[in-house]
Amino acid sequence: MNYKMKRMAITMIAGLISVSLSACGSGNSKSEDSSSNDNGGKVTIELAISKSSQDSAFVAQDLLDEFEAKTNIHVNLQLLPAEQTATVLQTKLAVNETPDIIQYNLASATTDLNLERNFEILDNEPWVSRLLNKDVLSASGHVYSFHVSQDTGMQGVVYNKDMFKELGLSIPQNFEEFLAVCEKIKASGITPVFMPFKDNWAANIWPAAAFADYAAKNDPTLFDDLNANRKKWTDIPEFATFLQQQYDVYAKGYTNTDILSDSYDMAVGKFLNKEVAMMFMGDWLIENVAEKDPSIHLGLFAIPSSEGASLGASPLGGQLFIPKKAKHMTEAKQFLDFVASKEVAQKIVDQQGYVSNFNDVTTPKLPDYKQEIVDQYITPQKTVLTTDAYMLVDRSELYRSLQDQFAGGKTPEEVLADWNDKFNQLMKDKGIAGF
Amino acid sequence: MNGTPGRIEPPGFILPQAVMEREKMKISKSLYSYYLILPALFIYSLFFVLPAIVGLFYSFTDWRLDREAIHFIGWDNFNRIFTDKTLVLAIKNTFIFAIVTVIGKNVLGIALAIGLNMRLKSKNLLRAIFYSPSILSVLVISIVFTPLLRSEGTINSLFEAVGLHSFSQAWLTNPSIVIWTIAAVSIWQHTGFQMAIYLAGLQSISKEYYEAATIDGAGAWMSFSKITLPLLLPAININLMLTLIGGLKVFSEVFVLTGGGPGNASQVVGTIILRAFGEGSWGLGTAVNTLLFVIVTIISIPLLIFMRRKEVTE
Repeated sequence: MNYKMKRMAITMIAGLISVSLSACGSGNSKSEDSSSNDNGGKVTIELAISKSSQDSAFVAQDLLDEFEAKTNIHVNLQLLPAEQTATVLQTKLAVNETPDIIQYNLASATTDLNLERNFEILDNEPWVSRLLNKDVLSASGHVYSFHVSQDTGMQGVVYNKDMFKELGLSIPQNFEEFLAVCEKIKASGITPVFMPFKDNWAANIWPAAAFADYAAKNDPTLFDDLNANRKKWTDIPEFATFLQQQYDVYAKGYTNTDILSDSYDMAVGKFLNKEVAMMFMGDWLIENVAEKDPSIHLGLFAIPSSEGASLGASPLGGQLFIPKKAKHMTEAKQFLDFVASKEVAQKIVDQQGYVSNFNDVTTPKLPDYKQEIVDQYITPQKTVLTTDAYMLVDRSELYRSLQDQFAGGKTPEEVLADWNDKFNQLMKDKGIAGF
Repeated sequence: MNGTPGRIEPPGFILPQAVMEREKMKISKSLYSYYLILPALFIYSLFFVLPAIVGLFYSFTDWRLDREAIHFIGWDNFNRIFTDKTLVLAIKNTFIFAIVTVIGKNVLGIALAIGLNMRLKSKNLLRAIFYSPSILSVLVISIVFTPLLRSEGTINSLFEAVGLHSFSQAWLTNPSIVIWTIAAVSIWQHTGFQMAIYLAGLQSISKEYYEAATIDGAGAWMSFSKITLPLLLPAININLMLTLIGGLKVFSEVFVLTGGGPGNASQVVGTIILRAFGEGSWGLGTAVNTLLFVIVTIISIPLLIFMRRKEVTE
């Protein structure tokens, strides 16, 4: 029996070794395959993108075909499941199975993908000198990402302009005026504000803009202080005030009744059916409603958390990144050069209605609501980057704490204290100095 | 079950001694070699044992998304699990869910099985109906139940209509009842599956016992407690284990119905693992996973041994 056991053990070990060896072998041959120049020097580069972003202008088939015809480089798309995009990319980067190009959001790349460790600095690329707004592509002083647009998307109160006109309402300039507007809309039988707080991130739009507006006006170094643990989230009484404001809008009955059961995907329908007049959201919602029914006129005004508040600007999303460990670095950079070329960039900007980020590419005529935002907020410089732009760690626990204010009856102070604890833990885990 | 394996002999036919000896020789010679388990053992080791051991190692490290090196940090991850409010709540919720669903699925499962083992005209149809929820995807369940369970949803409207205003609840958004609601949905979905196993168990009990009991004057309760329950023990065992392990490992029901919310009110160990990985705390996530594995093992193995001892054979 002993002899038998030994034989069995040896056979197993031999089996394990042979399989692991053959696995290594196949891995090698595979990587050789992809880098080898089959069909006369053609190289294939891998571009990883979330399935939810598959309509991105950078991966339009005709663009990729044109690139291939010109350079003999084939772009292979890796469509990642939307819910798992971050996890899949984290894994790919960790095990050195890196794609050559990744489309992601700059702000989230900082928190989810360890930007500085994993991605190539693009400061010396030829297109950088033509950029109008380097900041939207940069982090810690370096250009890490690529985009042809500088339109970051704005966040505030999306409102139905037709309803405001019918009821003779003007845009509220402070919180009291906002409540008065809500009261009048409610009296007309329409739900003033739609809160889809089943999706907890939706509860963050109001505070993200209000906090940032407060910091910009009263304490410009606030977020640096928070990120260095020189200040705590509970140290700023105004933060609690802003959270209380959002809660008051709900408590005074100005919202849908079941805010924790309603989700964001219902928002377009609510505006199309004219059931609601306002919502705290980004201008992408206006675009989505316009696609379904262009006859509805929606606009955007700043979150009225304080007198004459600025409009929140989201950090730009959908940039292209090149991982440091990309197997085809030169070809990947060639792809960015191609998209950045004047003709191609102009075509994309025209098609998508982008605000151009290149000095030799002209911005096309914008949709009405966007032109209004440009005139009323961007040109007079009444915008402020939302808190999201300053956060170094995952924010989902903040969203859950915000949801708790409505579900668990937590006070604004408790919400901030909970988030402060979690924030400390996450910053400490990340190894940030001061925590 | 106890008898030497071999040909099935026609009753009343006895083999001569010499033939039996020869048969025995043949049987021992024709037994398969242990080597045949190697492929299965190999795959099992590679995909289960090895990851479990590696996981055990990582749960004592600070393995993170944004750290270059991995450090051994002893019990830190486990300390954190038992001091973090949310993680403690998640463990509590997991136990509530497991206990409620074990009781609910098995009590209702036995009741349904006994009911549908009687002579009913519609019994096949009813069995199919009760079984059908368990073949649905849990996503479908969430799409069906979310509107039913809204504050102004169908279930509350029904209560209001019959005047039971106090029964009307915010089923999925009230932090103090949400985990119970999810357990109830899970019971609704899976009881039919438990019922099917109990039905099979019931049908293997010989009718003669009941006939004899009736002649001896036993009532319905006496027959149930002295005949049905003891002889159903193997089925009860398997169902208890299935529902208990399933309950402790709960993930999908919570994920699709509430995502752990509102806030963190319905987090369970399964969703916490997902959250930890999402935050890039891979070491912590693995530690929670290891803890779940240990909890499932130390509860289920002694229970299994205990229940096995209670089993009787006909």
